[in-house]
Amino acid sequence: MKRATACLVAAIAGFILASCGEPTARPNALRLPLINDPVFNPIIAADLGSILPNKIIFSGLVRPDENLRPTPDLAESWTESADGLTYTFKLRPGVYWHDGTPFSAVDVKFTFDRIADSTSGSRLRSDFAAVARTEVVDSLTVRFHLKAPFAPFLALLGYNAGIVPAHAFTGTTLSAATDFNRSRPIGTGPFRVTESIPGSVVVLERNPRYYRDPPALDRVIFKVVPDINVQVAQLRAGEMDIVQLEPANLASVQDAKDVAIVQTPVVQHYYVAFNADNRLFSPPDVRRALGMAVNRQAIIDGVLKGYGDLPRGTIPAALKDFFADSLPPVPYAPDSARALLALAGWTPGPDSLLRNARGEPFRFALLVDKGNPTREQSALAVQQDLRYIGIDVTIQTMEFASVVRDFVVPGKFEANLIWWTTPPDPDQFGFYATGQDNNNVRYSNRRVDSLLALGRATRDPAQRREIYRAFQAEEQQDPPVLVLFYPREILAVSAALRGMPALTLRDALRWSERLRIDNR
Amino acid sequence: MTRFLLERLAHAITVIAVVSLLTFFIIHLAPGGPSLLADPKLSRVERAAIERELGVDRPLPQQFATWVTRVARGDLGRSFLYQTPNVDTILARFPNTLLLAGSALLLSIVLAIPLGAYAAAHPGSLLDRTLGLASFTIMAVPAFWLGIGAILVFAVGTHLLPAGGASTPGLGWSVADRLRHLLLPAVVLSAATSAELFRYARTSAGAAFKLPLVRTVRAKGGRRRTVAWHALRNALIPVLTVIGLQLPRLVGGAAITETVFAWPGMGRLGVEAALGRDYPLVMAMTLFVSAAVVLVNIAIDLCYAWADPRIRLDATGARG
Repeated sequence: MKRATACLVAAIAGFILASCGEPTARPNALRLPLINDPVFNPIIAADLGSILPNKIIFSGLVRPDENLRPTPDLAESWTESADGLTYTFKLRPGVYWHDGTPFSAVDVKFTFDRIADSTSGSRLRSDFAAVARTEVVDSLTVRFHLKAPFAPFLALLGYNAGIVPAHAFTGTTLSAATDFNRSRPIGTGPFRVTESIPGSVVVLERNPRYYRDPPALDRVIFKVVPDINVQVAQLRAGEMDIVQLEPANLASVQDAKDVAIVQTPVVQHYYVAFNADNRLFSPPDVRRALGMAVNRQAIIDGVLKGYGDLPRGTIPAALKDFFADSLPPVPYAPDSARALLALAGWTPGPDSLLRNARGEPFRFALLVDKGNPTREQSALAVQQDLRYIGIDVTIQTMEFASVVRDFVVPGKFEANLIWWTTPPDPDQFGFYATGQDNNNVRYSNRRVDSLLALGRATRDPAQRREIYRAFQAEEQQDPPVLVLFYPREILAVSAALRGMPALTLRDALRWSERLRIDNR
Repeated sequence: MTRFLLERLAHAITVIAVVSLLTFFIIHLAPGGPSLLADPKLSRVERAAIERELGVDRPLPQQFATWVTRVARGDLGRSFLYQTPNVDTILARFPNTLLLAGSALLLSIVLAIPLGAYAAAHPGSLLDRTLGLASFTIMAVPAFWLGIGAILVFAVGTHLLPAGGASTPGLGWSVADRLRHLLLPAVVLSAATSAELFRYARTSAGAAFKLPLVRTVRAKGGRRRTVAWHALRNALIPVLTVIGLQLPRLVGGAAITETVFAWPGMGRLGVEAALGRDYPLVMAMTLFVSAAVVLVNIAIDLCYAWADPRIRLDATGARG
């Protein structure tokens, strides 16, 4: 038995020594986590795990600068017709696909024809619903004909609309091209996929034919790591360069050396949605009162650890050109809230709960998705603040998919805590204009309808600013939703990373050729 | 023997059919539906188009009938999330799971059985008491805690081993690299199993040393090795049962350990499929894993007969 034990110990020791032999060399590579396996096709994949690599692999006609304004990418320049109905793009010459085929206007037309095709599995169809047709003028000129003037058009071109190669889909459909979508995509971006191991890793290498300055990095490596704690552990072990954090994770990197925290305002608004079809919430004064009863600054300080901005209306501060910072933030004023509610017929009963003339208490259920500490804690804060003025809120948590599909979309909810992530444009017609598909709160306000319709049709920036300022002022009188905060994206990045533009990760990856790792 | 195998196979097919039927209806009863449809920004038209494409707009019995017909033709369907044939998705993950769970099980057997036998032969010794305490402690510690702890010590603190993944991306294939990545997850995964197996091995070896058969061998002046052989072969039965219980993990994967170490195995795939309500992938995995588990159990029954010839193979599953 002694001899056997000795052999065993020797074997284990040998195994460990063999395992530890290799030094960890620092590659000239950027390593980022993905939460799921990507589908390499910007038209049919709408999940975050796919969007991040697709931003690198597939260039768009334009890309957003640090002010979120569109700048040339595959398009060298463009002109708009005076009536706003046609956009003509001059394409950059000498651009090649990753497989060596020349890029041309035919590819642009192919991409937008597929986007418009309801049978293609396209997830960008509603973004480009304003496009009537796409026309190839010559091999390097493409023209879009719009059904009506549509100001967000350029911003949307720089958002998720990566251009895909027509020649890769001859005789097949977008979703049937498994080899393209899962292991060998062909784009025009600064890095191309050379290795894709399901559930594990995607390796992108520098594209030698890239049409701008040669990319500084040799590789971009996406590792599939679904758990955020594990992502942070890998960052601290020096095996990851960028990790997106929730405020709750900040503590775990606070003392980590060689890690910097970068924050960027996101084009998102987080809000409590009240179902306007419910008679509890139909009076605008009630929604306004609820807004005054919630201490947003306390949520931003306590839950977001300061990584958020105080809202005015539904247009986030990240849209610097359109956010109405001259309007006052909605005040935290529980007494005024009580007074407004009293005018609306809600007075405190003996148990301090607000009751209407028939003696029914002000009571509703607030839905929130399970597992995200920021949203769960925000829901608790809302519950406490509303309880303070005499409203009884019950929190119901469930999976996000269930919140959306079983309650929000069919309109079977009283209130829910959710958010919108929008393209870098103030257009919110789809969310808050009467009767629109995404108007899940059933909000309806004539003035808002006409402002939002005018806003998306007006291309002059100064005029647009005025329109959206009026929209935000109207929102303060008749709030469509109770906006809680505009979050900032929190990235923990390796201190060796250079060249990150002041953009959120998604948009920054549109500039991946500029990213560098400072090798010490 | 042949009769036993045929009857057990018939049982196996029934079990698999029942498991599939139950899984199908349970996964469809779960709220929410496919995560592809969880995007609140979809318009009504887009939502309807996706539902039609996925085939989830049709009545459930019809969906189940379609699934059965396809399986009968050997087609396990396409995943909603991965947009690839499920067979490919599973076969890409299965070797990783086999490697991780296999090494963990091997490690457990190699560690726990000799240590258990030694502890049983020397009851009350310092080693016996230390191992007893250690095994209870390890069993009480959750795998994710042990995993994160191991990463903090060996990857964050000392940089001795990688924090996760199955290989270093872009380095190409190398045995040393694979071993470096395998070590931590295999040890963490084997910890609880080893502890459990150790306790079974110790108890059953302790009982075996007291068997009349062993006493007889001793009385006849058998050498230490002969005594140990007779005792340990008898002690194997409960140990085989415990090993058998671990085997589903060989095919099904260990979701928690795989998540902590970002290991691309079946366990994580199953969790993703279930959370994403990827119905075709959930069904394909259920079929694959249940078939494998049933077959492995038949194999374990054959092992019993080898370990103890008194055990008669009987298709009802009764073990002697």
